[in-house]
Amino acid sequence: MTNTVLSENQISEIASFNGIKVYQIKTNKFKTNSINIFFHDNLSRENASKNALLPAVLRRGSVNFPTIQDISLYLEELYGAAFDCGVTKKGENQIVQFYLDFISDKYANGKADLTNKAFDLLFEIITQPVTENGVFKKEYMEQEAKKLKELIESRVNDKVQYGVDKCLEVMCENEPFGIFDYGNIEDINKIDAANLHDHYKYFLETLPVYVFISGDIVDEQINYIVDKLKKINRGNIKTLPQVSVEKHVSEVREVTEHMNVNQAKLSIGFRTNTDPKSEEYYKLMVYNSILGGGLHSKLFQNVREKNAMAYYVFSRLEKFKGLMVISGGIEISNKDKAYDVIMKQLEDMKNGVISDYEFEASIKSIETGINSLKDSQLQVVDFNLSQIIAGTQDSPDDIIEKVKKVTRQDVIDVAKKIEMDTVYFLTSK
Amino acid sequence: MDIKTIEYKNIDEVMHTYEHKSGLKCFVIPKKGYSKKFATFATHYGSINNEFIVPEETDVTRVPDGIAHFLEHKLFEQKDGSVMDKFSQLGSNPNAYTSFAQTAYLFSCTDKFEDNFSLLLDFVQNPYITEESVEKEKGIIGQEIRMYDDNANWRVFFNLLDAFYEKNPVKIDIAGSIESISKINKDILYKCYNTFYHPSNMIIVVVGDVDAAKVFEQIEKTITVSASKPEIKRIFPDESDKLNKSYVEQNLAVSMPLFQMGYKDVGFASKGMDCLMRETAVKILLDMIMGKSSKLYNELYNEGLINNSFEFDYSIEENYAYSAFGGESKDPLKVKERLLEEISSLRDKGLSMETYERIRRANKGRLVKQLNSVERISHNFVSVYFKEINLFDYMEVYDKITFEYVNKVFEEHFSADRLAMSVIKPT
Repeated sequence: MTNTVLSENQISEIASFNGIKVYQIKTNKFKTNSINIFFHDNLSRENASKNALLPAVLRRGSVNFPTIQDISLYLEELYGAAFDCGVTKKGENQIVQFYLDFISDKYANGKADLTNKAFDLLFEIITQPVTENGVFKKEYMEQEAKKLKELIESRVNDKVQYGVDKCLEVMCENEPFGIFDYGNIEDINKIDAANLHDHYKYFLETLPVYVFISGDIVDEQINYIVDKLKKINRGNIKTLPQVSVEKHVSEVREVTEHMNVNQAKLSIGFRTNTDPKSEEYYKLMVYNSILGGGLHSKLFQNVREKNAMAYYVFSRLEKFKGLMVISGGIEISNKDKAYDVIMKQLEDMKNGVISDYEFEASIKSIETGINSLKDSQLQVVDFNLSQIIAGTQDSPDDIIEKVKKVTRQDVIDVAKKIEMDTVYFLTSK
Repeated sequence: MDIKTIEYKNIDEVMHTYEHKSGLKCFVIPKKGYSKKFATFATHYGSINNEFIVPEETDVTRVPDGIAHFLEHKLFEQKDGSVMDKFSQLGSNPNAYTSFAQTAYLFSCTDKFEDNFSLLLDFVQNPYITEESVEKEKGIIGQEIRMYDDNANWRVFFNLLDAFYEKNPVKIDIAGSIESISKINKDILYKCYNTFYHPSNMIIVVVGDVDAAKVFEQIEKTITVSASKPEIKRIFPDESDKLNKSYVEQNLAVSMPLFQMGYKDVGFASKGMDCLMRETAVKILLDMIMGKSSKLYNELYNEGLINNSFEFDYSIEENYAYSAFGGESKDPLKVKERLLEEISSLRDKGLSMETYERIRRANKGRLVKQLNSVERISHNFVSVYFKEINLFDYMEVYDKITFEYVNKVFEEHFSADRLAMSVIKPT
């Protein structure tokens, strides 16, 4: 324990070229280093399925590591380095992520030079896929398309998550946000090795890229990474469209889905009409925390503790699209009763019926949450990526300061902008 | 106060320990520069302890299934309301979990550690259970049970345990059933509490940027129990080495079949270094046989028989041990057939020393990574402690283990007549 600990979360932009931005998060708090590469696209029917399939095909192999077995063997040689890739959505952005983490050289008998080796592998997987006849290997493409379809179908297996996602998708079915980040089966069926390879060129040449290098990494290694990234052949970089968070609801929709289930899921989707870039967003954070953001919240206290109607119930924000969703698992016959209790909490929020305890515990809970994320390399990266997408430049401490300034009146004001949009009920057959 | 300090120089970790006069064992693992401070107060009492003899009694006590978990919920209730509210006022997150062999109460905070820690020490030592609150909790836990009834991954795993064991209580759902919890009342909860929550049956683990001496002083001041308590006799049914069933099937609303299969282990040491060696050996073997770098994984993956949901693990506790592996598959029986072929072929050819060495090194590296997370350290520390293993012993095992030993475990564990399978099929 002789090392001095570097101050928290020193993020700096190291380089910016050809639509690629490279950030360094210098820290020696962790025993690992990590490299994250994000390609950003806007969610669209046209590209979503291809963006989802692409990383799945790329991870099948590269010129020097042509199979999963070869890649895995090499990761084991790098002292159990972990590689993964996939897609996520943040608002109406579809993000393709490539990730590698590995232990610091000092725990790998000193001179293992893991950073350069790990980056070389990641770079090769992204830029030198296995090809045949100038396009992706057909076998890989077809196997991964099949697996991607299985993954889409298997969404129903996790009823808790499905209950939340489905509510928001139904609600936004006519907006890009309603597109599932892993695409859809109909579009996947139209993909072949050749058109996916065309898409790969679009992907590699035109999408904005964000690279995060986190850990105790020296300048030489950073330079090595930057020099290599400069070799990627880039074209005109795509400008992603702005997302609109404002939408007013004329009529609340009710959707019921039937499945063979023992427990029903009641989810309610809302439009917050609050821009993540605005100061209003911090007020919304406090609003959500009071309503359903933890053990102190109105939903937990009233739906679970007072009425014993649920084991889990919460509200959650989708920051970038300005959405909020409430979800809970309840007895099938309790739908109306649970709905009424939830509505009462929303009314109380609007009318400012908020106790000192609820208000203060909510602000403290946000503060603890934000301070806690500093202890995870991945969460620090995610925090900074989210700042980029929202177009804000807050540090964790800035957010805490802003949240602490929020007043009860602010919460009441924000409550009045929130509009209920869709009630989704998953129940038995 | 007698504080012992052990340094683990090769991984830059330190552990301070101290034993309270009640027999309570306390541990502090400092993590300099971390924001979160994580404290756990855990008892050696879990869902499998449904039959026991209370110290100084002679008759066997048999309690309803799910009671350890029920007690975990009820301990948060205090005379002046829920202790969760007090943690929330401090901005911290209290939590608790019940596993097969332990119940743990914990909090994570970034501020006011002493106040939070004082709440934890206090509520775990002072139950306040009323008939009314017990009845109310049956509604909440009832919904927890229903949620797990719909969880295919949970069901497929418990069905595998049912295939392994005829009587061992590990096969019973941790939360019990709606029927079994209906029999729980205040008196039985207090009886379990008084039996298993004596400090001599418990540990405290604190991980984070804290001063160990101060933590131990606070414990010394707060815990007033002075004498250790006689041992609790835990009763477990006799279980044969044979499988209860070789195959279990259930239907649920899933998109494609889900499977878990594994080998019921026998003849294992359930405590100390021997137990740790076996666990490490089976985990290395599972990686060698079906990890992503193995021939079998790649063949099954390419043929579409498994997908990215495929995972494997090995568990070892006092009265049971098993390997378990599975995921989604369009044809689970085919996977089983191929696995058996591969194991038989490895028996003929012999294991590869080179593969063993590569995986041993990789797994050791993966272990170092886990030390990044205060939650992971706390959770893993508690989960191995009652097996008389210290978390940091794991590093040592990777240096001690040999290829010969792994070969011996390969011969013992992967025995076809102890391979069971559980499948969930779409409705």
